[in-house]
Amino acid sequence: MMSQAHLPQVLALFLFVVGMLIVLLRRNTIVLLMGIELMLNAANLSLVAFARASGQLDGQVMVFFVITIAAAESAVGLSILVNLYRNFGSINTDQAKTLQG
Amino acid sequence: MVNIIYPMGALAVICAVLALVMLFSKDALTCAMSLLGILLSTAAIYGLIGAHFVATIQLVVYAGAIMVLFIFSIMLLNLKKLGTDFTLFSPRFLIAAVSGLSLVGIGAWAILGWSPVERDQWSNDAMLAAGGNTQVLAHSLFTQHGIAFEAVSLALIIALIGAVTLAKRKFN
Repeated sequence: MMSQAHLPQVLALFLFVVGMLIVLLRRNTIVLLMGIELMLNAANLSLVAFARASGQLDGQVMVFFVITIAAAESAVGLSILVNLYRNFGSINTDQAKTLQG
Repeated sequence: MVNIIYPMGALAVICAVLALVMLFSKDALTCAMSLLGILLSTAAIYGLIGAHFVATIQLVVYAGAIMVLFIFSIMLLNLKKLGTDFTLFSPRFLIAAVSGLSLVGIGAWAILGWSPVERDQWSNDAMLAAGGNTQVLAHSLFTQHGIAFEAVSLALIIALIGAVTLAKRKFN
């Protein structure tokens, strides 16, 4: 039976899988980065809901750290994206194949 | 105790629909706005669960700072035409969709079989008695997790220096 402990976990699972599909399927680098953010957000939701369900606070502290690292990650990712655009004139992942050999 | 499952269910439906919009939309700005909606709905779910501090951080950092970065990049790169993105019903898409759906199915089956053990060291009443979610969390953050807190601040400043260096340099 779906209770208020189960619902956030199912939602987190769904959001994680959709984020993973975005990273796997999309060709646009900025949408790819958004997919990564979506997966991080899903993991955060799972952590907060588990923290609530078990009456502990460590999950919420962990989410605080994850959000901080996500901010750093998106800053670095978007500066890489700006560089990608400058070098290839496009942010499509198909264009960036210098290492393909 | 107020039953929070109905507003939470409505927010979950909004999140799921917006996630699918994000997956299938061709427009980068539509994706960004859907992500913003997901982040706001998640912040509301955090508030319903009782994690008020995390809900605020989610609003300020995720829905504020990170989304501004994304939308600013979309504006800077003038992303109107996205070119070829994935095609529906290609073998690649079908394999990914089938494995994703089976992952959701198996995971949901596992989650619904889980029966949470209510230990409730920090029930809502205990939290209020100790000064509220923010005070309890801040105390834990600066005592028990103090070293991790400092390490994260160091990682943040290194990442920001790295981002500036990366964006300034021209690679050949």
